Amino acid sequence: MKPTAEMRWKTTRRRLLIGAGSLGVLGVGGYFGFKAAIPTLVDQIATESGGGSGPTQPLFWFAIDPKTGITLYVPKGEMGQAVQSVMAQLAAEELELEPMQLQIAFANSSQGFADLHGTFASSSTTSLYQPVRQAAANLREMLRSEAATQLGVPLSEVIVSRGTCFARTKPNKKLAFSQIVAAKKGEWVEPTTATLKSRQQFITIGKNTPRVDVPAKIIGEAQYGIQARAAGMLYGAVARAPRFGATLRSGNAGQAETMPGVKKVVIDVANNFAGVVADTRTRAKNALAKLQLEYTGGSNIGQTELESLVTARAGQGTVVRNIGNIGELNLEAAYRTPLAAHAHLEPLTALVSVTSNLIEAWVSTQSVALETAALEQQFGTNRKIIVYGMQMGGSFGRKGNQTAVLEAAMLSQAVGAPVHIAWTREEEMQHSFYRQPSHTVLRGNVDSNGKIISLEHTVASGDILTGSFDPAIISPILAVGYQIDPGIFTGLFSPYAMTNYRVHTRLVELPIPTGLWRGLGLFPHVFALESFTDELAHQTKQDPLEFRLNNLGADLQARRLKAVLEAVKIKSDWTTPNPRNTARGVACSFSSNTAVAMVVEVQVQNQIITVTRVSIAIDCGLVVNPNGAALQAKGSVVMGLSSTLIEKIVVENGAVQQKNFDDYPLLRLKQTPPRIDVHFVESDLDPQGMGEPVIGPVGAAVANAVFALTGQRLRELPLKLES
Amino acid sequence: MQLNLNGKNIEIAEDLRDEPLIWTLHDRLQLNGSRYGCGAGWCGSCTVILDGKATRSCQTKTSQAVGKSLITLEGLANGDKLHPVQQAFLENPLQCCYCMTGHIMTAVVLLENTANPSSVQIDAAMDANLCRCGGYNNIRQNVARASEIARGAT
Ligand code: FES
Ligand code: FES
Repeated sequence: MKPTAEMRWKTTRRRLLIGAGSLGVLGVGGYFGFKAAIPTLVDQIATESGGGSGPTQPLFWFAIDPKTGITLYVPKGEMGQAVQSVMAQLAAEELELEPMQLQIAFANSSQGFADLHGTFASSSTTSLYQPVRQAAANLREMLRSEAATQLGVPLSEVIVSRGTCFARTKPNKKLAFSQIVAAKKGEWVEPTTATLKSRQQFITIGKNTPRVDVPAKIIGEAQYGIQARAAGMLYGAVARAPRFGATLRSGNAGQAETMPGVKKVVIDVANNFAGVVADTRTRAKNALAKLQLEYTGGSNIGQTELESLVTARAGQGTVVRNIGNIGELNLEAAYRTPLAAHAHLEPLTALVSVTSNLIEAWVSTQSVALETAALEQQFGTNRKIIVYGMQMGGSFGRKGNQTAVLEAAMLSQAVGAPVHIAWTREEEMQHSFYRQPSHTVLRGNVDSNGKIISLEHTVASGDILTGSFDPAIISPILAVGYQIDPGIFTGLFSPYAMTNYRVHTRLVELPIPTGLWRGLGLFPHVFALESFTDELAHQTKQDPLEFRLNNLGADLQARRLKAVLEAVKIKSDWTTPNPRNTARGVACSFSSNTAVAMVVEVQVQNQIITVTRVSIAIDCGLVVNPNGAALQAKGSVVMGLSSTLIEKIVVENGAVQQKNFDDYPLLRLKQTPPRIDVHFVESDLDPQGMGEPVIGPVGAAVANAVFALTGQRLRELPLKLES
Repeated sequence: MQLNLNGKNIEIAEDLRDEPLIWTLHDRLQLNGSRYGCGAGWCGSCTVILDGKATRSCQTKTSQAVGKSLITLEGLANGDKLHPVQQAFLENPLQCCYCMTGHIMTAVVLLENTANPSSVQIDAAMDANLCRCGGYNNIRQNVARASEIARGAT
């Protein structure tokens, strides 16, 4: 527990604590801005793992107030991944507390550790596992050392337990953390590397501690972004172009300005923007409908053209991996996945107040830092800008996008009051960005021992990563050496050991915005790859699961995949006969440094595919909260099944044809297999990604099961059986 | 215009007669339990209980709630004591929990009419409410569990 180095805090650098007239509140210090983050973000994308980064100084994470207790500032957005609860577990472990003894707050853009990565790529737990524990341990040691002074005993005598410090010999004289802070005189000394607990010493990590965010949500107290409020707030509605890429040519307020409740009409042709502010959302929408707007240009793309653009031709595109020499290839197949919506239930929202010296924004966002950067870019840096992250009602990649914050800011500036924007479901369905469409051609061959000899893998895909960010933000990242969309790599490469493997990718520029969607390339890639693996297995009459085991190599990734395949073989009863009229399919994938194997059981009746059971084995390193992780896994299965069986966005005349959940249905409760069994494989690794990896194998596992049952090989999502 | 909201009579401005009930609750009365998902009746997130019936508040005009008993998520708990359905969802939560209002309100009505529903009845009653985070199996379990709690069969 002995600090190996220490550092004296400078009050100038981080506005801290003592004697700052703040009643001895040990407070959250500064803010680490976004720009410093870019190299790290690039590393993260490159390695496809979160890595351990972020400051470990306690004051970026914690505030201790004698009145309110200890607050942990969580720099990640909460969108259902229970990040607040997991962070509380990590911190509580080193602080010797119950997680529920911590108050949890979102770090805003002026207080706490402004998250450099945002909440992306299943990285929340992975990237914060080390720094949160280290910061908590440092804080514990600071409190412990101060307690030694206050108790008048040597440091080695001080025990920390359940939010208090006491001397070993006098366990009855307990000092609460907040008391220690209140009585502190002079400067704090921070150990930079207090010793962390070993895994064997963990008390709360690995346990199903309760969620910290749910009690407020269950009684209607929690505020999601759509429920952000400010005194005197008004509601905005923004016009949307009728075709992708169309721009405003002219506009006239018509009767809108005199309609009841309307406070402002903004028609700004130069900035391609038209919107209305009113005293209710309904009135804002009604007035918006009366604007006379003319649009020009834009795309008239239709579904046929879209699919022909997104068509891979074997061996064409940028070579991103090339091993050995591709010789003769005797099996070829092509797979297609469509555009898909995020369909997060809470739409994109923001409340923004623009005044002459301060901009404040309350946003449902995956990245407070990106929202702040967008506002800085729009309004300059002369005004103070504070962005508060709100609870999110789902996101799946959608809320990494700064549209709503800018719209609300423009309207707030125009009307001189705080303005709230909530997109409608129709706007979300028709004017969002979408999961990129993809087309994959695979060619391969297998030797007489059932080993894959060669694989040629060609992917054509819509944009994944570059389009989701403001070019000003993404271009420095792209400039660091990527010629191609970095999002393409998630789940791209076949995990099997082959002497000859070549991968080509082609980024197809489309007039339709596409981008971040749970797992990026993972779901489409694995659908193609693992369906083809199945085809190779069947061609050589091998058991598909054994075929996979037989083709995995000996490196760590392959060994972890073998372990999950072996586990799922048992959990799914793979070797026992199928229940009547059902068949099983298997698939596996590796992403965010997590290995997943999945077996699904399907039934077909009247050409309708029903999934009756799903078994999953996962190696995601140490599991911090098993129930939470299992929930992520089951949720990924449901979302994956929805994409596999139902979801497809169709475009005609440059516009999305679907409008709401009637013509873009999602998987429902009755369609969900009652049995989704999740099994975590023991692992020595630190926590790895859990929010996305499990969606990887879903499409292929179902298609493979359908083939086993019907003999029909379906190579396009959503899967449709021919009658 | 007067609403009977969670057992209390409250006065609502006349000009909200035609306003969808969801926005009266959400924006005017600032009740965070009301959740907009689709505005068209498809997702169920906005469900309230109107005269004992699970009702889509996005498909109901505010004036249609006048003279009826209106219960929202905020009105379920009895002081500090959660309703059994809330208790079950607290013990076994969903993910983002945005859809949860709709599931809870629908389940409350189901259990009022069918104290001990079969799994088929649970599926039938809960099927019209979407959960994008995919918590459907937790929802199934929670309705059954809430029925146990309510019947004292813990
Ligand atoms: S918001 Fe009312 S049913 Fe979706
Ligand atoms: S928990 Fe997120 S939509 Fe149901």
